[in-house]
Amino acid sequence: MSAALAARTGAPLEGAVVVGAEIVAGHDGAADLLVRLRHENGVEATVTLDPATGFDLLEAAGAARLDDLVGRLWLDILKELSRV
Amino acid sequence: MFDVLIRGGTVVDGDGAPARAADVALSGGKVAAVEPRIGGEARRTIDAAGRVVAPGFIDPHTHFDVQLLWDGAAKPALEHGITAVVPGNCSLSLAPLKAKDRRALVGMFQQIEEMPPEAFTEAFEWTWEDFAGYRAAVEPGLSVNVAPLVGHSVIRLWVMGEGANQRAATPDEVAAMQDLLRASLDAGAVGLSTSFVDVDENGRPVPSRFAPFSELDALSAVLGERGGRMLQVVPEFYDTDITIARVDQLAELSMRHGIPTTFSPLFDSRLTPNNVPRVMARVEEQFARGARVWPQMQTRPIDISFSLLRPSLFFARLPRWVRVLRQPLEARLASLRDPEVVERMLADCGPDGGAMMMSELVVRGGDAAPAEIVGRTLGEIAKARGETCARALLNVSLENGLDVAFVAASRGHDDTQRIGPMLAHPLMHIGASDGGAHLASFATYGDTGYLFSEFVRRAGALTLEAAVKKITSDTAEIWGLKDRGRLARGQAGDVVIFDPATIGRGEERPQFDMPGDGMRYVRDAIGVETVLVNGEVVREGGRYTEARSGAFCALS
Repeated sequence: MSAALAARTGAPLEGAVVVGAEIVAGHDGAADLLVRLRHENGVEATVTLDPATGFDLLEAAGAARLDDLVGRLWLDILKELSRV
Repeated sequence: MFDVLIRGGTVVDGDGAPARAADVALSGGKVAAVEPRIGGEARRTIDAAGRVVAPGFIDPHTHFDVQLLWDGAAKPALEHGITAVVPGNCSLSLAPLKAKDRRALVGMFQQIEEMPPEAFTEAFEWTWEDFAGYRAAVEPGLSVNVAPLVGHSVIRLWVMGEGANQRAATPDEVAAMQDLLRASLDAGAVGLSTSFVDVDENGRPVPSRFAPFSELDALSAVLGERGGRMLQVVPEFYDTDITIARVDQLAELSMRHGIPTTFSPLFDSRLTPNNVPRVMARVEEQFARGARVWPQMQTRPIDISFSLLRPSLFFARLPRWVRVLRQPLEARLASLRDPEVVERMLADCGPDGGAMMMSELVVRGGDAAPAEIVGRTLGEIAKARGETCARALLNVSLENGLDVAFVAASRGHDDTQRIGPMLAHPLMHIGASDGGAHLASFATYGDTGYLFSEFVRRAGALTLEAAVKKITSDTAEIWGLKDRGRLARGQAGDVVIFDPATIGRGEERPQFDMPGDGMRYVRDAIGVETVLVNGEVVREGGRYTEARSGAFCALS
């Protein structure tokens, strides 16, 4: 839902959505998890997570595969991650 | 009579001027003359025909703090033509440090450097607490020049003790940190390093990460009052927006206190193609305002390495593998020995037996891997064993207690066509080698050789003269190193003589030369023939000399 639509309808903002996840080479030679997010204003941004955090995030999201993250609300994942 | 006369070479003087035929004379540790033809006698003459004669290279981001205590050449950096190194990055230095805090610092250093514990207990004697004491312990044995930073985390540790990685400092504590920084700068530190990213061996943030901006501002004021010394920062490089916010913070500190700042690392990736362009756009804006915020970019690509001893996200697309490999070691081994589990894991790899994903993996060595498979691809090994790639990976690991490291080479920061222009950008500071760190993960040596072999010779992204300038006079100017980085009369006699047609880096290989027979990955130099530091030959004919002519660098 766009911010403008949310403002008109009074619906709560839903925040960024995961639109992709990839494995990338990390600074220290490990495989890191890159999560691609699309914000409500259409802007895409990325977050890169180290292996420990990446595994925790997959577990928190209940994602067996990287593609399972796609479509999930980032804030929901973060809430679950805080419980891991 | 000159001390050294280098005859018949092609001088690339570090200023970016066109290469020219000239002789170079050295006397009293300095460059005495650079002329087309120098007459007179010399105690030592070096024939440089067909070779480039250039200022020694300067590496602005290293972690040689510990190694320098028993290896004043910072091997193998010096044989790559590096004549000056900047240790003390990322908020960590070996001084100032109270004796009671040594154990805490060792943990942080081990996390970053991956140096064996024996390095801290057998290789040297702790004789110092303050920065002057560290300098006294290191300087007599130096073959390479050193321009050390003092670490914010150790300054906090000295002043705040256990509170250093728990809370913000009080005003009195900040004042005490300022005094300690002044003393360290006066004893030879060239600046301050801090980090917003690093963790200790237990995964806890290092002390500098508990400092509010006001503390960094107060310490930067000291850098300003001492003549505009460098502030080095590790920003949240994994997030473009936060990195840009840090660029803005550094710009404020730079302009408020009249100091240069630098941050690293800055990487390019096909998956985040806008990262570097966006950061550089902000850097350009801040330079236009008068700030000095120098991004550091490494030349070498980034590899992914792993063994089955620890879970790796390399297998993130194979959920069953992740579940098995994330188990505790005993359970993991039991699963990997269970034929049913293994068959299901192999089935997940698809009809090609994991060839697409794993065939190019290379066995690295330096661990339990048998010598006959070190350096070979998993595809080759699998073929020789008559197995699929996935099965060969599992079997080779199991046969060697899982202690077999594999590397997936060049998986990031590896697009020469994109990175070449980035390195050539006038505001890009070539550095971030991390020399002396990540010892057991990958080789942090040879980035200068790779600059010439990949970006000068192969891609033509920089001219030879521009590449030399980037890692000599540009670096000296950014850091304010006095009389370094140029081949001109009166400059320090730091010289590297190399073959422009071959200079490069060798293959990564394990080497057991750390204290306690500790292993590290290294790369040999290619094409670098002679290296002089402060007028003395420290490396020639493939061997180090006995010269200990290195020194702490003076500032402009």
